[in-house]
Amino acid sequence: MKTTTNFKAAIILSVMASIMVACSSNKKPIATDTATEVAGSEVDFKIEKSGAQLWGEVCNRCHIAPSPADYNDTDWETISLHMRVRANLTEEEITKIESFLKSAN
Amino acid sequence: MTLIILGLGSSALAQTYNTFEPSKTQFMLRGYGHTGFEYLDTGGEQESTFLGATFAPIFLYKHSDKLMFEAELEFELEGNELKTGLEYADVMYVLNKHMTVRAGKFLLPFGTFMERLHPAWINRLPSRPLGFGHDGIAPASDIGVELRGAFDLGGPKLNYAVYVTNGPRIKDGSEEPEEAGMLDFGYYEDVNLAKALGGRIGLLPLSDSSMEWGISAYTTNSTGAEDSDYKDVGAFLWALDLSYVKSITPLQGVVDIKAQYNSSNVDTATYYEIEDGISEPYSFDNQSSSFYTQLSYRPIMSGSDFMKQLEFVGRYSDFNAPEGAEWEEKSTQYAFGLNYWLSWRSVVKFSYQTTKMEGGHDSDGTTRTNGLFVHWAIGF
Repeated sequence: MKTTTNFKAAIILSVMASIMVACSSNKKPIATDTATEVAGSEVDFKIEKSGAQLWGEVCNRCHIAPSPADYNDTDWETISLHMRVRANLTEEEITKIESFLKSAN
Repeated sequence: MTLIILGLGSSALAQTYNTFEPSKTQFMLRGYGHTGFEYLDTGGEQESTFLGATFAPIFLYKHSDKLMFEAELEFELEGNELKTGLEYADVMYVLNKHMTVRAGKFLLPFGTFMERLHPAWINRLPSRPLGFGHDGIAPASDIGVELRGAFDLGGPKLNYAVYVTNGPRIKDGSEEPEEAGMLDFGYYEDVNLAKALGGRIGLLPLSDSSMEWGISAYTTNSTGAEDSDYKDVGAFLWALDLSYVKSITPLQGVVDIKAQYNSSNVDTATYYEIEDGISEPYSFDNQSSSFYTQLSYRPIMSGSDFMKQLEFVGRYSDFNAPEGAEWEEKSTQYAFGLNYWLSWRSVVKFSYQTTKMEGGHDSDGTTRTNGLFVHWAIGF
C-alpha cells in the first residue's frame, strides 16, 4: 500500500515539476497600454493584468469563462462574492474580473 | 396647467425609475440540472435507463459587500423515490482582503474535485472518479467553521483554508456489517466531543495562474461515540491535487489536466462478523487510497465553428479499500468522453466507461462493468 501511495504521489509531483519546467520562460510579459502600470523607480515596475485577462485565466481553471452578457451588474456583484470565496480568489482578481464583467455585459 | 401636468408626470416618472434601482441586499437563484441515458453491462447482465432529472438550486443572499449566505439543495429521482439533500448552507463574512470566515455546512477543501469540480455542468464526464461520492474516502462536506483566503505573491499566488468540523462517524458494523471500519462522512451529527481539523494550501506558481497544486490534510482523534469501543479510533487523511489549464497555440485549443490522490488512514480496531450465529472478532490495517487523473482538450482555435464546441476527455481512476475488510476492493476505471458545448454552461456528454473491480462489499472475484452514457447538463 505504501509503495503504491508513494508511487502515485511521485507521479503527481513529477507532473507538477515537468509542467513547471516546460512552462518556464525567460520571456518577459508584453505590456500593453491598458495593462501596464509603472510604479516606483525606473527599473522597478509591475505588470498589472486587466480584468478581461484575469477573466480568461481564472474562470477557466474550473469551468468555461462565463459570458458577461448573461447577467446584469447587480447579479455579477452577487456572483463575484460567491466565487471569490468558492474558488479562493484574491481580492484583486475578483475586483478586476467583476469590473470587466460589468463593463462588458 | 401644462406645467403642473408636466411636473406631476416627471415626478411619477422619477418614482417609477427609482423602483428599478438595485436594492442594497440582493437575492439570487442559480444552480444546475442534468438528465440523460445510461446503458450498463455488468458481467453479462445488461440494463438501460433514462435518468430522472436532477435539480440543484443554489440560493445566494448578498447582505452586503462582505456578508453572504449561500445554500444548495439537491433533488434527484432514484427509482420511484425523490431524494433530497442539503449540499451546503453557510454564512460567510469577508474579514479582510486575505481572510474570509464561513460557518455552517460547507463543501470541504479536501483536494479540489468535490469543492470545485463535481457539479454536472463543470465535471467533464457524466460520472465521478472512483473514491468520490457514496462509499468514497474523500470527505465532501461537513458542519463547522472555516477560515480561508488568498495572497498575491507578485505573480504566483497562494490560497489557504483551515477548518474545524464535527467530523465523521466510523461504521462499527452493527447496522451494516459489510461496511465495518468505513468512515461515514455523511453522518453530520457529532457523536463525540472530538472535532475534525483540516485544511488545504494551494499554490499557483505561474503568473498566468494556469497551474495550481495543492496539499490537503484532515484529522480527528475520535470517530466513535463517546460510550463506544471506537471512541479512540482516530483518522488521518491527506490529498494531493493538481490542475493545469492552458491555451496552447500549436494545438489550437485548451488543454485541461486535473489529478487528485487521496489517502485515508484509520486506526486499527476490532470489529465483529456473525458466522453461523457466532460473533467472530477481526481487524485489519484500515488504509485506503484513490487516485484520478483527467485530460481534456477543446479545439477553440479551430477554423470550424462545430469543432470549437467539441471537447475530448479521458480519465483514469482507481480505488483501493483495505485488505481484510468486508469492503475490501481494488478497482480501476477508464472513461472516455466526447462533449458538445451548447454554451459556456450547457453541455451534452457522450462517454464510454469501463470499470474492473476485485472484491467490494464482501463479494468475491472480479467484476467488469462497461457503460455508455449520454448526459445533458446545464448551469443557470
